Amino acid sequence: MDVETPAVPSPAAPEQGARLARRGPVRSPRDLVAGAILVALAAFALATGAPLEGGTLRAMGPGMLPRAVAAAVGVAGLLLVGFSFARFGLRLGRWPIRGPIFVTLAVVAFALTIRSVGLVLAGPLVVVVSGAASSDVRWKELVAFAVVMTAFCVVLFRSILGLPIPILSVGGFTW
Amino acid sequence: MTELLQHLSLGFSVAFTLQNLGLALVGCLIGTLIGVLPGIGPIATITMLLPITFGIEPTGAIILLAGIYYGAQYGGSTTAILVNIPGEVTAVVTTLDGHQMAKQGRAGAALGVAAIGSFFAGCVATLVIAALAVPLTRLALLFGSAEYFSLMVAGLAFAVVLARGSILKAIAMILVGVLLSTIGQDLETGVERFTFGYAPLADGLDFAVLAMGVFGFAEVLRNLEAIEHREVVPIPIGRVWPSASDLRQSAGPILRGTLAGAILGILPGNGAVLGPFASYTIEKRLAKDPGRFGRGAIEGVAGPESANNAGAQTSFIPLLSLGIPPNAVMALMVGAMTIHGIVPGPLVMTRSPSLFWGVIASMWIGNLMLLVINLPLVGLWVKLLRVPYRLMFPAILLFSSIGIYSVNNSAADVLLTAVLALAGWALSKLDFETAPLLLGFVLGRLMEENLRRALSLARGDPMTFLRRPISLGLLAVAALVLVVAVLPSISQRREQVFAED
Repeated sequence: MDVETPAVPSPAAPEQGARLARRGPVRSPRDLVAGAILVALAAFALATGAPLEGGTLRAMGPGMLPRAVAAAVGVAGLLLVGFSFARFGLRLGRWPIRGPIFVTLAVVAFALTIRSVGLVLAGPLVVVVSGAASSDVRWKELVAFAVVMTAFCVVLFRSILGLPIPILSVGGFTW
Repeated sequence: MTELLQHLSLGFSVAFTLQNLGLALVGCLIGTLIGVLPGIGPIATITMLLPITFGIEPTGAIILLAGIYYGAQYGGSTTAILVNIPGEVTAVVTTLDGHQMAKQGRAGAALGVAAIGSFFAGCVATLVIAALAVPLTRLALLFGSAEYFSLMVAGLAFAVVLARGSILKAIAMILVGVLLSTIGQDLETGVERFTFGYAPLADGLDFAVLAMGVFGFAEVLRNLEAIEHREVVPIPIGRVWPSASDLRQSAGPILRGTLAGAILGILPGNGAVLGPFASYTIEKRLAKDPGRFGRGAIEGVAGPESANNAGAQTSFIPLLSLGIPPNAVMALMVGAMTIHGIVPGPLVMTRSPSLFWGVIASMWIGNLMLLVINLPLVGLWVKLLRVPYRLMFPAILLFSSIGIYSVNNSAADVLLTAVLALAGWALSKLDFETAPLLLGFVLGRLMEENLRRALSLARGDPMTFLRRPISLGLLAVAALVLVVAVLPSISQRREQVFAED
């Protein structure tokens, strides 16, 4: 596998300002956190999977593979934690939360309203709330866009493609 | 040979029906569209459109989805050349010389060569699939549980090697994927695992939900952070048909790129992504004047673009002949097939030959359509690039939410997707790649099933995996690949450490 990977702008390139850590015993904070999360996940899986029966190699029970894999995840996590003290790596970097908050809220809002009210409300909600995640949001444009897109989706998914997605249900009225 | 011709003629008779031609065309158009637009890829799109295919008969459904997949490979190069942004991950290499050519006023030639190379690669890859399908299917029938298990181990080993960045992190992601695949009812005993009494998890985590969350939505979150610099400079496209000397220069790279891409695409573990890089490296090595590369060398567009398309298509081989999806898009194809009651694997070819050969024939037709449609429509695609991201991502989220809801008509799935999106975003912040996670998830259930069966057949003796020759060979390949992958990374790290001093 002797392949030169050309240096190219990648969409997932590390953000600017990510620098090598210098001070303190932790040489790679990013790897430390990454490893700790894996260890926590492994511990969680081992704990909640404890009641599952392991069985024997000849007749494996439901618990054997999950436990083995969880243990391996834990080992990988411990190795990462260990390496984070031994070799230099990146700082944790910036974690701007505006995007994640609004996007998650938007999708949750969609999930909560699609059944109870329908696409007529869920559609504009997901567009407007998620649109707030962008730093250059323009409200009038966004609201108009939300209405147009929802109408487009009603026509496309319901009228043309015939998906059984709830459009509007208020009181006893459903469409 | 006559057998091959018979198969292909059966395939073309299926693919040439009006409905299937129409579906291939729609698939190619949608694929090109999302390929051109950065920030939305084939994984999210196919997930979104999965519910729509429920109403179509299976052959048509697969033809549509396949069209989206290879259409996206075509479209990705347009954005790479004109805007210097890879519309698709696999088009990254094309930005190097393609955009330079565009700056020199040769955008048309670059687009033309990319399209011709892709078309040639698509034709060859279609023949490769048709030729390899029969022998590989026969081979697959020799496979028992032990061999299947070892094959998947080899596939995951390749996935580790192909992941960027830390190998340890890639292995961890695969393991997490396997762990996630155990959520839901245990197939053999019916015991619920990791469901925490939450009913929507009883059937396991849906692959579409996981893929849309950690891949589709997390991608939106990443793009939101990268402050937008998408200036669509009105680059004159110029003559789309490359000149005779352009074509002469490109013939060799196209041939070699097709070959490299086709071979790498067959590898389980998403070898297709490696094709463009391999081809670029080969051409640079072979060139008399490597200094031209990065400054608008037409070989640097022709080779990788051909490799890209060839690999995208031959990655259907492991799915169609062995039933093992080599990447996330193929895993979604599994979903589309099983919904229609077709179990991907060696039996597809014998049980539903018209589906099998129809899909293969449609790939060639689709490639022809892309060649014809794409070049005249380039202007239209470029206009689409002017839609600002602040409007594009809410639209993506709306379509995706509707898509996820419609897969199972379940609002709980949409909620799960939101949670997984946050997880996927956090993972990418910690330099974990999510592609190996998806592959681990896809293969996890199959692996456990085959592991259990193989062990119980061997009366609990794990040596069975080493005693059976095919299984031993596959495990040896896996070990070899991992060792090779680890060695250079050790040396690289040592260099980095030394550089610190």
